Amino acid sequence: MTSVEAKFGALRRTPVDGEKPPLDWIGYLFVAFFAAPFLIFNIAPVIFGTYVSLTEWSIIGQPKWIGFENYRDALTDEWVWVAFRNIILYALIIVPGVTILGLVFALFVNKSYPLSGLARTLFFAPNVVSATVIGLVWVYLLDTQYGLFNNVLGSFGISAIPWLTSTDWALIGVSMASIWWDLGLAFVLLLAALQDIPRDLIEASTVDGAGPWNRLRFIILPHLRPVLSMVITLQLISTLRIFSQVYVMTNGGPAGASSSPIHYIYSVALVRNLFGYASALAISLFVVILVLTIVQRFAIREMAS
Amino acid sequence: MKKANKFEAGSANAGKSLSRRTILKGSAAAATTALATPYLMGSPVLASGHHEILHWSWLAASDGEIWGQMIDDFNDAHKDKGVQIRLELVNFEQYDTKVLAATATGRAPDFGWGIAGTRAQMVRDGVIVPLDDLSGEVGLDIGDFSELSISAARYPKYGNGMYMVPLDLMSLQPEINLDHVAEAGLDVNSAPATGEELIEWGKAMTKMDGDTVTRSGILMTGSGVQPTVTWGIVAEQMGFQRASADLTTAAVNPEAGIAAMEWVLALFDEHKVSTRDITDRYKAFGTGNGSIFWTGPWTLNGYVGQGLNFKTSLFPKIGSELKTYFEMGGLELYKQQDEGRYKATLEAVKWLSDNSFLWTTVGRGASPRKSILERPDYKTAGHDWSVRGAFVEGMEFATIPEIPVMAGPEFTIYSGGNFLARKLEGVWAGSKTPEEAMAQITERWQEGLDEG
Repeated sequence: MTSVEAKFGALRRTPVDGEKPPLDWIGYLFVAFFAAPFLIFNIAPVIFGTYVSLTEWSIIGQPKWIGFENYRDALTDEWVWVAFRNIILYALIIVPGVTILGLVFALFVNKSYPLSGLARTLFFAPNVVSATVIGLVWVYLLDTQYGLFNNVLGSFGISAIPWLTSTDWALIGVSMASIWWDLGLAFVLLLAALQDIPRDLIEASTVDGAGPWNRLRFIILPHLRPVLSMVITLQLISTLRIFSQVYVMTNGGPAGASSSPIHYIYSVALVRNLFGYASALAISLFVVILVLTIVQRFAIREMAS
Repeated sequence: MKKANKFEAGSANAGKSLSRRTILKGSAAAATTALATPYLMGSPVLASGHHEILHWSWLAASDGEIWGQMIDDFNDAHKDKGVQIRLELVNFEQYDTKVLAATATGRAPDFGWGIAGTRAQMVRDGVIVPLDDLSGEVGLDIGDFSELSISAARYPKYGNGMYMVPLDLMSLQPEINLDHVAEAGLDVNSAPATGEELIEWGKAMTKMDGDTVTRSGILMTGSGVQPTVTWGIVAEQMGFQRASADLTTAAVNPEAGIAAMEWVLALFDEHKVSTRDITDRYKAFGTGNGSIFWTGPWTLNGYVGQGLNFKTSLFPKIGSELKTYFEMGGLELYKQQDEGRYKATLEAVKWLSDNSFLWTTVGRGASPRKSILERPDYKTAGHDWSVRGAFVEGMEFATIPEIPVMAGPEFTIYSGGNFLARKLEGVWAGSKTPEEAMAQITERWQEGLDEG
């Protein structure tokens, strides 16, 4: 018996036959250190937010009950549709981008090529930097006139691309920064999963004549499926909640071309003080994320089977 | 039996450091301390019995340093009088929300910064305290303020009370890069005074690479504040009004508003003196990537500090009447549970206003106080008159104020993310015609006016 068990074992009393065992408060106390903050800061705001979404409220005074009017308003608000269309586009660019590049980088580092140790650090490094810093750095990199990207393209005779100032390119510019930022976590998770694949399995397939493509397709990818599913799920949720990069790089513009639901919720709540409406949008986004996540996990399971 | 067991369990561990009771007691004490700490720390009254006034400000750039100096000066002058101001910095975008939240919980700051005409909701909800009676009690000389500033501090739809002590008057005026002027062979002493001259100057200073503008003769961005405020100024000069004088009709003379949108579009597409590709307008002008840039006096400290060779001129007359954007900063008092605090707070605000010479010469803007403007050293203090003068003299025609209604923030022309800016972005990007945008703007603004 360890010292902790010895300490708390003495506090327990064996119930007599037929007697209801006494309530062990000490267990609840330890759970409370996590549960209380979780209930207060996570669950209570969700419940309160749901209530506020059914009211008209601007912090001062009592919320005025208006039923589902905020939700009806959201359906006819063109910026809501623009923002939700944009996150679908963000998801279609960022999720595959992060997953595929994360896998490619993990495969490279797992091979232990020269400098793969340095590469491991470099690939993960952006993930520990805040999204705001990433956004600011990429604003400079993607500047139409003086940015590094356009300078490089210019040296190949390609004319400057308005990465952040055109309605056609702004979403792509923000996506590029997001992929670079999010890549680190996907890379580390996939690298860990790669290192868990038994070496003898790989060696056996090589002896049996499997080339690199067949090894990837029939050995590596099936083993990575649970982690890939997790990476895609986490990345999808993260992308659907994209905010900081949008706020710093384009502020949702031009003409809403790069806005996102969270960015719109932020402006509705903090700029216009429409907390009821903002809450309705937040609850709607929660439902969208939940549905998409379930559909995506179901799809991956179906594909695997 | 149960009692005995509990007691036994406790005594079995009596000699040890950890027992159930100890944990519970310790947890309760820790939780109580954690919960009480903000209240103990945040007390507005100093332990020694001195009066502490809590002030929130969003000024975080070079103007923030001068404002900090003003507060320090107040505290130095009052260190033996038992009154001190505690300055806390709050992010500009979150300022209103935090004030509302603090007021709702009875812990609002005593006073803070405000922009005249944008506070209708707070006035309606009683968050900001009316100052008409209080100002008489503390001897604030209202007659020393310009009429414009006092009228801008009032909300006609809410009893026409005065809800702010005006501190600085600001307008948008063009800053001109003198190196570009010399390079283009223009006469620095005859800055553009009309729309035609402005375009002429813009063309002379614009640099192109093929069909692409690489240096904007007239600095603009493809979205955000700059094209929005430019449209607002030009539209009002052409005869457009966002709201009628009685605040009942939105978008008076919409044709002028549409013409102003076309004027802005022509800068990019017809005259080719501007590019939509600028992402940071302040940086672009500071690094010589724009030649004429209309902005406010808050930029002076930065550009003078970096040694940029520029001067400021008066906004040109593009339409039928010379006008430019007007903004007034001032100090407002927030609702307190203890109403006895108002007098001491307004006395402190009065001191800051009476001593705002530093603020309106080095800090930002022109003074709303006649006694300060009449001081012989007003023109020689602070930055050189060639860069500061237009911001003082140009106040004469800075007559495009905020619309003091609940939906005021949606009317403001100096915004990069409000309803107006978002609608206009569609026009600048070519996804909406000026007529479509004007129709949508009119509809929304009219709803705003109807709400009150």
